[in-house]
Amino acid sequence: MANKNKTIVIGVGRLGSGIANRAAAKGQDVIVVDPNPKAFYGLDDTFSGFKVNADSTDMFALEEHCDIKTAGQVVIVTGDDNVNLFLAYVCSLVYAVPRIFVRFDDPDKGALVEGLQNVKAIYPFDLTLVKFNEIEQAERK
Amino acid sequence: MHIVIANGDSDAAYIIDMFNTKENRLTVINGSEAVAQTLMERKHIAVTIGDPWHNAILEAARVYDADIFISLCKKDTDNFASCLMAKRNFHIKKCICAVSNPSNVDLYKKLGIDVVISSTYLLAKSIKNESNAESLIKSLSLDNEKIVMIEATLLPKYWICDQAIKDMGFPKNASIAYVVRDYNFIIPNGDLVLRPRDTIVVACAKENEVEILRFLKKQKPTVEVKEEAPAVEEPAKEEKKPSKKKKK
Repeated sequence: MANKNKTIVIGVGRLGSGIANRAAAKGQDVIVVDPNPKAFYGLDDTFSGFKVNADSTDMFALEEHCDIKTAGQVVIVTGDDNVNLFLAYVCSLVYAVPRIFVRFDDPDKGALVEGLQNVKAIYPFDLTLVKFNEIEQAERK
Repeated sequence: MHIVIANGDSDAAYIIDMFNTKENRLTVINGSEAVAQTLMERKHIAVTIGDPWHNAILEAARVYDADIFISLCKKDTDNFASCLMAKRNFHIKKCICAVSNPSNVDLYKKLGIDVVISSTYLLAKSIKNESNAESLIKSLSLDNEKIVMIEATLLPKYWICDQAIKDMGFPKNASIAYVVRDYNFIIPNGDLVLRPRDTIVVACAKENEVEILRFLKKQKPTVEVKEEAPAVEEPAKEEKKPSKKKKK
């Protein structure tokens, strides 16, 4: 049974730690996963969630340490697009997580998650481009 | 057949040697410039340099509608991404994904990869098959483990020996493909009587394998010669007299 309040953040870089800090501050049950223990330094001192130091492609870690079957949402933001793609498939097809957010640096990867249930892809490249266009148009006016 | 070989090193070279024939068209992609250079020099074959999980690289290599895509990257997730990209965006008929973690074999198949290969997984399967029933019964999985071929050498103690195939109640979900008797191949019909030391090859679906193995290994009922125990006269039991309850 999924717990709406439970968020798992996979990959604790700048974006991952930012999302985890915000979710924990809002009172959510947060679990962060990263194979590099130094990555957790980016979390706030007041961060109240669990830190799992493990390889996120290891199903044992996801099941035993994160109890991923009960997650309400999973945010996948590792630095490796291929790992992110794989995890999006696993979260959707194996664990049926209700809400899955995945970050891709390569916009071409987006077509590969089309049709996957509950998966929303985020492309920093596209977002930057949109923002750039907005700023440029505003400046011209 | 159009075969795409993505990444890999000595394994890629071996596969190139194996399939570089007139009947096949090979497309080789490699992310390592050094490996690509070596393959070009030694195998005299064009190599597209770049990572096979990028759309642009697969496009440059013109892999559209290829028959087979073999991904030999070091990381399992890279192989997964490459196969998925090849399948979804380039309509490649069959993708073969090599994985180093044997527990990923079943998982990757569940995620939609056609064929997943792990050397450790194959080794474990092979050991399991070889150790099955004192090596008299071996099984071989075909078509991505959907079909199983079981080879069994019959022992006199097996129940199916000395019986015609039509009489033994052979399971309907399997069929005896052929019988080897004294080095001769026999395509069996229902009247064929199986004999000890015959080798039979049975084809069945993977889910029926256990049932078929159980059927093949079923032994003849042992005829026990019981010594007749001396008749001991049992003391005659007193017949219980029905209690007479007088009904008032």
